Amino acid sequence: MRADDDFEDLFEHAPCGYLSLSPDGVIVKANATFGTWTEFEPAGLAGTRFRDLLNIAGRIYLETHLMPLLRMQGFVNEVALDVVKKDGSLLPILINAVERKDASGQVAFIRLTLFNAVDRRRYERDLLETRASLQALNNSLEERVAEGVALRLKLEESLRQSQKMEAIGQLTGGIAHDFNNLLAGIGGSVELLGIRLKQGRIDTLPRYIEAAHGAVTRAAALTHRLLAFSRQQKLEPRPININRLIIDIEDLIRRTVGPGVTLEVVGAGGLWPAIIDPNQLENALLNLCINARDAMPEGGRLTIETANKWLDERSAQERDLPPGQYVTLSVTDTGTGMTPEVMARAFEPFFTTKDIGHGTGLGLSMVFGFARQSGGQVRIYSELGKGTTMCIYLPRHYGEVDTAETGSFVIKPQEASQIVTVLIVDDEPTVRLLVTEVLDDCGYHSIEAADGPTALRILRSNVGIDLLITDLGLPGGLTGRQVADLAREARKDLKVLFITGFADNAASGNGHVDPSMPMLTKPFTVEALVEKVTRLLSDETR
Amino acid sequence: MAVLQRNNVRTQGTGERAMMFAHGFGCDQNMWRHVAPAFEANFRTVLFDNVGAGGSDLSAFSKDKYASLSGYAADVVEIAEELEFKDAVFVGHSVSAMIGALASIRSPGLFGSLVMVGPSPRYIDDKGYVGGFSAAQIEELLEFLDNNHLGWSAAMAPMIMGNADRPELGSELANSFCRTDPEIAKHFARTTFTSDNRADLKHVTVPSLILQCSDDIIAPTVVGEYVHKELANSKFVQLRATGHCPNLSAPQEVIAAIRAFI
Repeated sequence: MRADDDFEDLFEHAPCGYLSLSPDGVIVKANATFGTWTEFEPAGLAGTRFRDLLNIAGRIYLETHLMPLLRMQGFVNEVALDVVKKDGSLLPILINAVERKDASGQVAFIRLTLFNAVDRRRYERDLLETRASLQALNNSLEERVAEGVALRLKLEESLRQSQKMEAIGQLTGGIAHDFNNLLAGIGGSVELLGIRLKQGRIDTLPRYIEAAHGAVTRAAALTHRLLAFSRQQKLEPRPININRLIIDIEDLIRRTVGPGVTLEVVGAGGLWPAIIDPNQLENALLNLCINARDAMPEGGRLTIETANKWLDERSAQERDLPPGQYVTLSVTDTGTGMTPEVMARAFEPFFTTKDIGHGTGLGLSMVFGFARQSGGQVRIYSELGKGTTMCIYLPRHYGEVDTAETGSFVIKPQEASQIVTVLIVDDEPTVRLLVTEVLDDCGYHSIEAADGPTALRILRSNVGIDLLITDLGLPGGLTGRQVADLAREARKDLKVLFITGFADNAASGNGHVDPSMPMLTKPFTVEALVEKVTRLLSDETR
Repeated sequence: MAVLQRNNVRTQGTGERAMMFAHGFGCDQNMWRHVAPAFEANFRTVLFDNVGAGGSDLSAFSKDKYASLSGYAADVVEIAEELEFKDAVFVGHSVSAMIGALASIRSPGLFGSLVMVGPSPRYIDDKGYVGGFSAAQIEELLEFLDNNHLGWSAAMAPMIMGNADRPELGSELANSFCRTDPEIAKHFARTTFTSDNRADLKHVTVPSLILQCSDDIIAPTVVGEYVHKELANSKFVQLRATGHCPNLSAPQEVIAAIRAFI
């Protein structure tokens, strides 16, 4: 092959278009590749102005940008223009231009090297479109996020509002209940004042005035407590062995949870003592066990477990406790478990998942308050559908254990077997005093209990009881209804009169108490009490 | 001083009389690099960039102000006032020829003569008037600019973005020359190619020189002749140079023509 042929072939068939232009832009020579791309005959292009191969925008760009730049710096690289092909369609090209000068420095010709930019233009277009749609997506994403956040804020706000309303509802119910208790005390005292005045028994008057006054003071204290949500109670802590305490009330717990629930007690060997109020711990344990039972309506396993725990810096911090040694008392059920939402609110006062009348929403908040007041903590570990563990942490006591009896009660000696004995269970002392007074007047003997567990101990003793008068809402984990039901296990024919601070339908409407059951709603009159008691006791004689 | 910074104004020369060089569409003051130095001995030469071009302050760009050539003319007047022109020579290329004419009408006394290189008072043909472009062609141009991001913008993009992997594309001149923001370039194109300042020509009173290139598609000879006819006190010189930029392709011819005129 001759070298000329080789160069000829290289020029004509290179993978780019070659155009030689005169200094004023007229095509002198075009290669075969350019002809193939544009479908023009290369030889026929000679004499044509290069700009005439461009569209209007390209022509203006050439004259106002490309040519001046070429004149100034002698070359131009990669200018993207469109060549109009013979058939009128456009061919995207990239132009490299360079001036070739003669010996005198004058421009001899302009060499254009043209690259086929069909693909590149498509990529660029795709890129720009992608960029634009990405930008649009970004914008709409931001909008959507903003909308989502706004919606969420709105939902959270309405949720907060409904939680607030719910809390207010529970609070109102709770206050109404407690106030009815106190009104019963005040009303009854005033009524008895009248009766005693009529009877001329002036010496007894101060106690009713005192009782009424006491109720008023407690009402004031109640509002104060409710307003402040400060549930500080007076504790009587002493060093005790928690294993022993569990053994003492294991039987009570077993009866309380019923036969459907298997109770297992795992007391740690060598358990450290803790310094706490044993009555409150009993209440707390009972409370936890009742919650556990309620979480297992189909039955299940209830485990009470104690352990010695050493909390290092980190684990103590996690539990919001000072590092050190603790005794734990945990109650585990295999019940329904809690949702994270319920877990988060479980310790809130008046928060309850139970039906109205079945729980005051104070149980766990009291357990929490008691644990914190005792220098400890309560933690919830729960999995929906699997169960819950409630764990009370109490600080270890370094010292001896106090072995005194826990949970004592006093029974007045029974005077005569034929005398009718009534057990009065109410946490409100004024109410107990009033009922006792009225029953005394009727010639009945009274025994008082301030909470469910105490009442149960009495009912499970061999003391003769003819009538149980109990408030439905009681502290200590057992409701009046539960006390009555548990009592009837041993005393089938026990007569029961319920008193309640809740409105009639609230207490009975949810199956809490059978409407046909004898019931007094606070505040009640002495006359109404006497009438109910008399009727109940005379029913027995029939 | 803000005006001088805004328009990247450069002054040279020792003469008392000022000679101001204005660039047209697509360029910056570099357009005059072969012409302006020739006048430094006798004139104070003043070069500048229109707002949106070269080293001007892009933040000074306003779509409203520069929607017509009078916005650019106002800048020329401000520069002339700032530099206390009196009877100065205005040399305008392409669209700036008309900008200079507008400036001379606006503030008489600042400019004593006009040199118009490739002037056009209207680019679109009209009844009884040949502008060189049909309305459809300018429509096609503007549509292309509006819709086709890959035309001029893409051509400029590699240089504007200063591709670090390819320094050969980022030579200083190309960088400066094509720095124009694509959006501003589009706007300037629209303002330029839709302008119609034919009615202003009769208000020009200062002597003017029209330098007409051969074979200029942006400003054809027939347009230069029209300007000559409309300008009362004008001189028409047909250059041998071809194309639209004789100041680059034939600077000596341009220099000689200007010298002869002043």
